[in-house]
Amino acid sequence: MMMVASLFLGCQKDFPVDEDGLLITFRRECFVSNFELLGNDFVSVRNGVPIIDTVAQTINVTVNFGTDLKNLYPQFTLATDCKLDPKITGKVDFSDLANPKTWTVVSGDRQVRKAYKVFVKVQ
Amino acid sequence: MIMRKHIFKTLIVAGLWAVTLTSCEKDEYKVPDPVSALTNDAIKRTLGPNIASLPIEFVYAMAIPKSKGKLAFAEVTASIPGAAGTFLEHRSFYTNSSGVDVPVTVGTPSVTNGATTKMNFTVDTSAASLRYYYIVPNEARGQKVKFTFSVTASDGTTAYYEMGPYDVSKMEIKRNIAVSNNNMAFLSIADMTSYNAASAASNAAKIDLVYLYRTTPTTFTHGLVAPGADAALYLPGVTLPSGVNNATKVIKVFSLQDRNLAQMQFGIYVDDIDMQKVDFNNAPLHAVGLRAENGVWVETADKKYRAYVFINSVNANGSAVVSMLRYDMTAK
Repeated sequence: MMMVASLFLGCQKDFPVDEDGLLITFRRECFVSNFELLGNDFVSVRNGVPIIDTVAQTINVTVNFGTDLKNLYPQFTLATDCKLDPKITGKVDFSDLANPKTWTVVSGDRQVRKAYKVFVKVQ
Repeated sequence: MIMRKHIFKTLIVAGLWAVTLTSCEKDEYKVPDPVSALTNDAIKRTLGPNIASLPIEFVYAMAIPKSKGKLAFAEVTASIPGAAGTFLEHRSFYTNSSGVDVPVTVGTPSVTNGATTKMNFTVDTSAASLRYYYIVPNEARGQKVKFTFSVTASDGTTAYYEMGPYDVSKMEIKRNIAVSNNNMAFLSIADMTSYNAASAASNAAKIDLVYLYRTTPTTFTHGLVAPGADAALYLPGVTLPSGVNNATKVIKVFSLQDRNLAQMQFGIYVDDIDMQKVDFNNAPLHAVGLRAENGVWVETADKKYRAYVFINSVNANGSAVVSMLRYDMTAK
């Protein structure tokens, strides 16, 4: 009996995971709920709250005067089970203000992808 | 086959039994040998890097059985003679019930002769705990230093205790440099001091940073800006003396209150390796919005020096006090 049971258990299908080993869920929500920019000293350089437009898929953030735009750490807060593409692995150079950086939010079921542009403005 | 199985089982049981017996064996407490001769011990109290001009503090403890005699004199010999101010306490300390270290004079003030510091006991004592302050000399930078503590008793016996070798940092330190807006505004890493405009003009090549205070924009406040930075943006209203144009790289740091610079309770130390590993690629030429206890990593335009400049205090009238650790990248 035990052997038969273990055979059945052994054949049970694992939960699906994506290429990053993250669980693929049924959630289709796909948006950025908060955004933060940290300086080289890991202190926020934002001047005021970021304006996140989930329809236009834009993030507008004003940073303090004198911010070192070449060495910033962006932090995204996403809807449940979402992930970001490309991943943020370190400092990001935001100094080219005319060409905003783009990150794509991928939903929990990995079917919905929304590209967000981050517009940085210096105080 | 059954017989072999039986033997195997028996062996396993016997083995387990042996392990159990061994692990249960009780170590008998042994009374330590009473101190029968002159003995000594030492600890190093100073933490962090050993920096020229700063002390390394030790505590040297010594004792002899009363029946053998009393302490006569204590000596410390450093492998590199200490700088002025090196001394061996002539007071023995004990900690009272309130946790306060209380001194008791046990000898005459120490005399340093070359690398050796000696203190003669003047009281009839068989035990003492003396502090030794070794002021790291500038010539020890980048080298190793070790110490031989010794005590001689009235019966002629001597005990020795070796400490070290300890690495001496290549860094140099300068504390409490006053900078002020439009006056002592020019900071030199090479000279580890601040200059006014007139003096800066005659030391133009050595001026690495300009201190300035601005209320607009509101986030500007206190700034350390390279003379070579965008003047319109980061040096508003500053007239740079002729020849002052170094493009010094500056990285703003938060929460790095080096204990030697801050002279506060923090147990953080900047060491040689930190200076070596700071990545100045893409570093800006300015740091603004500085507050007390902030700091900046600095690399001079000629890449000869790296420094950590700590903001000890700021004043809204447009002045600040800074301290710096400097590392010569060209020194061997």
